[in-house]
Amino acid sequence: MAIEKKGFTRRTILGTAAAGLALGTAPSLIRPAAAAGEFKIGLFIPLSGPASLFGPSSQACAELAADEVNKNGGILGRPIKLLATDAGGPPAESAKSAVRLMLEEKADLFIGMHDSATREALVATIKGKVPYIYTPVYEGGECDFNVYSLGETPNQQARPSIGWLAGEQKAKTYYLIGDDYVWPHKTNAEAKKYIAESGGSVTGEEYVPFGAPNKFEEVVTRIKSAKPDVVVITLVGADNVNFNRTFAGFGLDKDIARLAFLLEENTLMGVGAESSANLYSCMGYFANDPSAANTKFKAAYQAKLGDKAPLLNTLGISCYAGVKSAHQLVTKAEGTDGKKCMAASEGLTFETASGPATMHGRQVDKAMFLANCKGTQFNVVKTFSDVKSGSECKA
Amino acid sequence: MDPLIVTQAINVVYAVSILAVLALGLAVIFGLLGVLNIAHGEFIMIGAYCAYVTESRGWPYLVAVPLTLAVCSLLGAAVEWIMIRRLYRRPFDTLVATWGLSLLLRKIAEAFFGPGFRSVTIPLPGTIKFLGTEYPIYRLMLIVVSLAVVSVLVIWYGRSRTGSRIRAMVNNPELAQAQGISVRRLAAATFVVGTCLAGFAGVMVAPLVPVQPFMGLDYVLRSFFVLIVGGLGSVSGLLSGAVVIGGFDSVISAVTDAANGYFAVLVLAILFLWLRPRGIVARA
Repeated sequence: MAIEKKGFTRRTILGTAAAGLALGTAPSLIRPAAAAGEFKIGLFIPLSGPASLFGPSSQACAELAADEVNKNGGILGRPIKLLATDAGGPPAESAKSAVRLMLEEKADLFIGMHDSATREALVATIKGKVPYIYTPVYEGGECDFNVYSLGETPNQQARPSIGWLAGEQKAKTYYLIGDDYVWPHKTNAEAKKYIAESGGSVTGEEYVPFGAPNKFEEVVTRIKSAKPDVVVITLVGADNVNFNRTFAGFGLDKDIARLAFLLEENTLMGVGAESSANLYSCMGYFANDPSAANTKFKAAYQAKLGDKAPLLNTLGISCYAGVKSAHQLVTKAEGTDGKKCMAASEGLTFETASGPATMHGRQVDKAMFLANCKGTQFNVVKTFSDVKSGSECKA
Repeated sequence: MDPLIVTQAINVVYAVSILAVLALGLAVIFGLLGVLNIAHGEFIMIGAYCAYVTESRGWPYLVAVPLTLAVCSLLGAAVEWIMIRRLYRRPFDTLVATWGLSLLLRKIAEAFFGPGFRSVTIPLPGTIKFLGTEYPIYRLMLIVVSLAVVSVLVIWYGRSRTGSRIRAMVNNPELAQAQGISVRRLAAATFVVGTCLAGFAGVMVAPLVPVQPFMGLDYVLRSFFVLIVGGLGSVSGLLSGAVVIGGFDSVISAVTDAANGYFAVLVLAILFLWLRPRGIVARA
C-alpha cells in the first residue's frame, strides 16, 4: 500500500473541495403524487443548509394550520395539500423549484419563509400568476403584484424599541453590526432615521460577509473602543450566536446594551444564559406569550406533535399565519386571480398564533414585544400594541 | 500603548494559534496520508458535541477530552477500516468518500441532538488584565494550549520511533514496508491521530461558538487554505500557513473590517495556488 500523492495538485484539490462543499448544500426536492381537487400550496421553507434549523417548526406550524382549515372544509371546498419545498439553497434553485411546482403540480398558491434574496427570485419567477404570501420578519417595501407580506418590518421592530431605549435607558450612541445582505442594510437605514429622531447618534456601522465563517474578536474590540450605549444587531443565525458569545466573553455585556432584530428562541439557546445579560429582542411573537390565543395555539401544537415538537418561534408561527391568511384571502376573493386577491386583501382578517391580525396595504399591523433576555428566556418588558407596518403598498 | 492596538494584537496571536490547532488534524490526514478529508470539520463538530454532552451531564469540563478522544478514535478507526483503507492511492476518491461521510456525520448529529443551536458554558469565564488590557481568560488559555499541543506534536514527530516510522512511510511506503514497518497499521494509527486532533480542537472551541450540526463547514475550508498556503507534510508549513491565513484575516479585519479580512484570505489562497502551488514550505 502506498501513501503517495502523485497525479494531483493543490490547485485541483481546492477546486474539487469547493465543488464538494457547494454540493453539500444542494436541495432535496419532494415529489408528491398529483391528486385532483386539492388546493395545492407550495411551501418554501429552509430544509437544507444552515437555516434548516427553522424548517421543522415552520413545516409543523403550516401543517397544523392546514389540518384546522381542512377540518372545516378546506379552501373553497378543496382540502389543502402542502408541498414543502426547500428554500435553504441558492435563490436560483428555489426559483427552479417554483417553476416545477407551477408547471407540474399546478400549485394554486405559494407561501414562503426564507431570506429576501430568495423572495426576490421567487417574485420574479411567479410573476403574480398565483398569490405569494411571504411570512417572515423582513425589511419592508415588498409591493409586487399579488404578493402579501406578514412579517415584522423595521417600522415595527426598530422604531418602538429604539424609542424605548432612548427614553427608559437614556441611550444616546449606537453601533450597528449586521450581515452583509439586503435585510440588515435596509433595516439599519431605517434604524438610523429613528436614532436621529430620538436625538441619538451612530458611532459605528459595519457588516460581515453573509454565509462566511465569521469570527468577531476584532469587531468586538472595535466596539469596546467606541463605547456605544447600544449595539444594534442584524446578524442572523450562527453569526448572531457567535457575536453575542464573543461580546459577552470580552466582558462588554455589563456596560453595553444589545438590541437584536432576529433573535428568537433557537438563537437564544445558542447564545446561552451566561452571554445574554443586557440583551434585548423586539419581535411580533415570543413562544412564552401568556395570552389566551397563544395558550390555545400551543396546546394544539403540542397535541399534534407531542414531546418531539420543534421549538416554537416567530419564524415558525409565521407559516401558521401564512396558511390561515391564504384560506381567508382565497375564500374572500373566490379564487386566486391577482386583481381580486389584491382587492380582497385590504382589511382581510385572519388568525395567527397570537390572535387575529388584519392586513393593510398587503402588510400586517401587529402588536410588538420588546423582551429582555433572562438566561435563555425572553422576558417581555414592554408591549407596543397595533404598530403600523409603515410600508403599506399603494395598490 | 493604546489598549485597542494591544487587544487587536492579542486577537491576531489568538487567531493564528487557534487556526493552527483547528488545521492540525487535517495536516496529519491530508499532509501525511494524502487523504482529502472533507469530513475534517465534522470531527471538530463531534468534539464540540462531546463537550456539550459533558456539560449537560454535569461532568467536569476536562472529561470532554478523554470522551472526545474515545469517540473520535473509535469513529476514526472504523472509517479508516471501512472506507479510507481502500482509497489511499486515489485522492479524488477520498474526497468524494469523505464528503459523503461528512453528510452522514452531520445527519447523525442532527438525529441525536436536533438541528438547533447548543451552547457550552465557558469553563474559565471572565477577563483578566493582560499587557494593560482586559482579555478573556479562556481565549488566553487557548493560545497556551494551542502552542503546547503543536509543540508536543512537533517533538514527538521529530524524536519518537513512531515519528520516524511515519516519516519513512510518507517518504517511501514500499521501502518502509520492506524494512518491516507495518504500513497498513501505521497509516490507520496516523488517521486516528488526525481525527482525535480534530475532535480535541472541537472541545477547545466549543464554549466560544454555536454548537450545531453544520458548524464543521466553518472550519474545513479554512483548514485546507492553511495547508495549501503553508505546504503539506511539515509542521513549519502548518505554522506558516496559519500565520499567513489567520494573521492576514485578523490584521485586515482589525484595521478595516471583517469583509475585507475574508476577501484577503480568498485572494491569498488564489494567489498561492497560482504562483506557488506547493506552498511556502514545499516538501522535498
